[in-house]
Amino acid sequence: MAQSFLGDLLSWLNDKYDGEIMSFKMNSMVVMTLLASSVQAGILPADQASNAWFVDAQEAIATKQTQATSEKAKNVILFVGDGMGISTLTAARILDGQNNGMDGEENALSFEAFPFSALVKTYNVDAQTPDSAGTMTAMMSGLKTDVGVIGVDEDIERGDCTTVSGNEVVTALELAEVKGLSTGIISTARITHATPAATYAHAADRNWEDDGDMSTTAKDAGCKDIADQLINFEPYLEARYNVDVDGIEVVMGGGRRSFLPKDAAFNSADAVSAVEGDRTDGRNLTEEWQAKYSNGTYVIDQAGFDAIDADNTNKLFGLFNESHMQYEADRDNDVAGEPSLSEMTETAINILDNNEKGFFLMVESGRIDHAHHAGNAFNALNDAIELSKAVQAAVDSTNPEETLILVTADHGHVFTIAGYPKRGNPILGKVVSVGATEPATASDGMPYTTLGYTNGLGFRDLGDETDADASYSAAADNGRYDLTAIDTTSPGFHQEAVIPLGSETHSGEDIALHAKGPSAQMAQGVVEQNMIFHIINNALALVKE
Amino acid sequence: MNTLNKLTLAMLVASLTACGGDNKKNNTTDPVVDNNETPIVDKPSIDQQAPIEEAGLTKSDIAVSTENDWYKAGESGITAAQANVDAIIKEAGAAKNVILFVGDGMGISTITAARILDGQNKSMAGEENSLSFEDFPFSGLAKTYNVDAQTPDSAGTMTAMMSGIKTDVGVIGVDEDIVRGDCSTVAGNEVITALELAEIAGKSTGVVSTARITHATPAATYSHAADRNWEDDGDMSTEAKDAGCKDIAAQLVNFESELQNRYGVSVDGIEVVMGGGRRSFLPKDASFNSTDAVSAVEGDRTDGRNLVEEWKTRYSTGVYVMDQAGFDAVDTENTPRLFGLFNESHMQYEADRGNDVAGEPSIAEMTEKAIGVLDNNNKGFFLMVESGRIDHAHHAGNAYNALNDTIALSEAIQAAVDNTNPEETLIIVTADHGHVFTIAGYPKRGNPILGKVVSVGATEPATASDGMPYTTLGYTNGLGFRDLGAETDADASYSAAADAGRKDLTSVDTTTPGYHQEAMIPLGSETHSGEDVGIFAMGPGSHLVTGTNEQSVIFHVMNHAADLVNKAEATAN
Repeated sequence: MAQSFLGDLLSWLNDKYDGEIMSFKMNSMVVMTLLASSVQAGILPADQASNAWFVDAQEAIATKQTQATSEKAKNVILFVGDGMGISTLTAARILDGQNNGMDGEENALSFEAFPFSALVKTYNVDAQTPDSAGTMTAMMSGLKTDVGVIGVDEDIERGDCTTVSGNEVVTALELAEVKGLSTGIISTARITHATPAATYAHAADRNWEDDGDMSTTAKDAGCKDIADQLINFEPYLEARYNVDVDGIEVVMGGGRRSFLPKDAAFNSADAVSAVEGDRTDGRNLTEEWQAKYSNGTYVIDQAGFDAIDADNTNKLFGLFNESHMQYEADRDNDVAGEPSLSEMTETAINILDNNEKGFFLMVESGRIDHAHHAGNAFNALNDAIELSKAVQAAVDSTNPEETLILVTADHGHVFTIAGYPKRGNPILGKVVSVGATEPATASDGMPYTTLGYTNGLGFRDLGDETDADASYSAAADNGRYDLTAIDTTSPGFHQEAVIPLGSETHSGEDIALHAKGPSAQMAQGVVEQNMIFHIINNALALVKE
Repeated sequence: MNTLNKLTLAMLVASLTACGGDNKKNNTTDPVVDNNETPIVDKPSIDQQAPIEEAGLTKSDIAVSTENDWYKAGESGITAAQANVDAIIKEAGAAKNVILFVGDGMGISTITAARILDGQNKSMAGEENSLSFEDFPFSGLAKTYNVDAQTPDSAGTMTAMMSGIKTDVGVIGVDEDIVRGDCSTVAGNEVITALELAEIAGKSTGVVSTARITHATPAATYSHAADRNWEDDGDMSTEAKDAGCKDIAAQLVNFESELQNRYGVSVDGIEVVMGGGRRSFLPKDASFNSTDAVSAVEGDRTDGRNLVEEWKTRYSTGVYVMDQAGFDAVDTENTPRLFGLFNESHMQYEADRGNDVAGEPSIAEMTEKAIGVLDNNNKGFFLMVESGRIDHAHHAGNAYNALNDTIALSEAIQAAVDNTNPEETLIIVTADHGHVFTIAGYPKRGNPILGKVVSVGATEPATASDGMPYTTLGYTNGLGFRDLGAETDADASYSAAADAGRKDLTSVDTTTPGYHQEAMIPLGSETHSGEDVGIFAMGPGSHLVTGTNEQSVIFHVMNHAADLVNKAEATAN
């Protein structure tokens, strides 16, 4: 301990007296020799032993040696950064650091300080590069399945309702519900979108978000849309397994359109379209939910959210947007106002932890993925930073000895951090080489950005536009542009891409799993993505032996 | 070992939880219970009731899941993970041997793509395959940046791994107070390396690379230089030489005496050195050419020294080899020291190895041979093995060679696993940095990883908005498209200028060795990338790699596992 304190002191002094490093070094060598002689008797150079990098790493090792490895948790929180690949983590870490006055590279997102980690193989049974439906089914149900399907195994035929029956798999949320735990789902995407849907629904197609999205054949064959499955989660689960449950306690996200009739009379005060609702069956599922849960609270805006008294709310249903919620950087543009992901996370935990049996909560940052699809690193990174804050809110609001927190992604994106910018170069900026002050140029004589995409819509310069989706109003525009006079750090800058596609694609490389709490030590090595369910199951003993 | 106890405990906990209020009953009726135990919170007696069955679904309730092979594999994964935790060896110094494998430029996307190619080469769909080190129990992520660079180079990163500190880009075995290229700033800023500590501690030591053995990664195990480019005296300014700085090749050959002088210790020198880079050891004079020479004048040294001869003179019992035949003749049990320089510059890409003039061993063969020599020391050994040309193939924009060299590295690691005792050997596999190399969507399962994207359910390639097909693998920058057919040397790409942007690939076979992927930003060489890389580990101390780490932590994992600093101190005193 004395040695690490000394290291900190020395590094502080080093920073403070930059011009006197050489003479200072002589002194520090003497000090180190005196103080650390019992440990290092002359072989390890004193400068090395006192170097802040060296000292910090020694401390990291000491901390790791003492990590607890208990197995049973009371609560599990699964955070999914949709599309949050390894390169997104690194770039978001740097941006977050730079936003806080650091160089950036040395920063750590909240979950990057978690003690355990694994790499996760994301492919679906039928797809080399996966989608969110197949991957989230793997995480929530413990088995891999086909691309595009929700809560069913690989024997499904995508889009064919008749193949659903008998192929539905149980989810961790359902098992927790049956076990008597409180349950919750949060997403910044539509709550009927693939990732949240795979916690509670079973569908031959992820696109069956409401009845208007389904073929008559599918509906006639008895398949239910995803919004309906959310509202009727309790009776459907009870019927499927002949159990008695009390339903999902907390549901928050976007996607109000799939719960309202396609009729302007049902528009909310937060409506964006002339007709907000998409349902063709005339049902108002938000009314059905309120009728079913008369002591529950339904909210659609920031004011309603802020009025929630978590300790006296036993069920919460929040639909804050007609479609997806806003990007974090675009949240102020929401019509009626909406909470951040970290605010939703904290409120959810405060309701869920009223159950002494514990809870299961899934929190998705759904729009990291959307920003990447639109080729806009600015929003992808800012939403990843907001996810980091939400994870920190969860850490701060739970007991670490009884709460397993997992942070992962479903897949990555073809998003790269190119060389060779100098330390602390603005991550959204153009590459400025080590020792240089002006941007480096490529063989075509033009500067280039550190961040880039292999494919997608490509270059756009939309200035201060904070909605990444504005990119879709024009055709793909691939290849190189002269960026000399362009501010690439603005919210509306979209990075160049080589292969023109209507939407930038997912990528196939492994993504990360970070874990802390009981059973976190099961996150090890390189795992198939369905292992995540089994870690949750191990922590909560969801499946009875 | 602890599995049984842990299971028993888990069952006990589970049964207590299941019984709920029955705790009281158990305590009052069981005479064996220790009365000094903390009293259980008083609850209403439910003595007369049948035990309440815990709510929950059983395996048979969810048979669709529990009989699914993926599900069963996940269950087995938990059992294996528990066993891994139980088998953790935390004790400092428990590792007699340490082997560090570095895949230069082997980022996460490279590992995934190589895994798929390796699987497809074995007639699997590919995605479900695992490279040898992907079966190691623990993994972590490493933050690769250098002190002065967001996206790093091999010199700064390998110095972090070998010496436990981050430093500037481009410098070797010195701390961040160095001024790159300025010899006068070296003195006092040299940091000790794990290999040097192992050497002082009396362990055998070895360095293997498919790059030049004087290249940045191997150099950072044994040398200290203000510039990675000082590979031989011909690469150094007169000023630097006059100021007393030594070139990297000279530092390798004089490693023993220089280490002894620096620390006042007695060591016996590096036992195994194998790689490319003969040119930095030979005089710039055709009369010194070897039978494996590629250039008219093989040597690069301007000081007239033949470092190969100097090494042979110093180590009269050592064996110097420069080709496959020489390598094959090495009897590891009776070879105290081995020096192999198999190429004038870098060794061949694995897929191009058949084109080597005099023949050269694979990285797996070198690894096995090195261990055969090093494990003759009962104090153990430290070995660093670099697959140096994954990086070079990526720089050339050629995924074919990058992936095949990664597969060769995987085989070398398997050779290390097969030839060492896991209870006393820490094996770490990592990369120094990644590349701007991506695996794009949305190919169907089992689609050839080097091929064009064919969507799920389709048989013909998907097309982009420009109507043309595109490959799964790609680069953000670099030399871009080339169709060099059967050419197995990725570096052939450098003979033409960068050619960025889209090409019509309809009639191009993108799975050939000579195909180079498209790139957007035209550069003379594809660049490194800045995202985190993987760390994979097995053996004593391997649990310490988990989570997101600064790259310099890797040294400290090795130091803890083999107790290098303390053992070196103890031996020295």
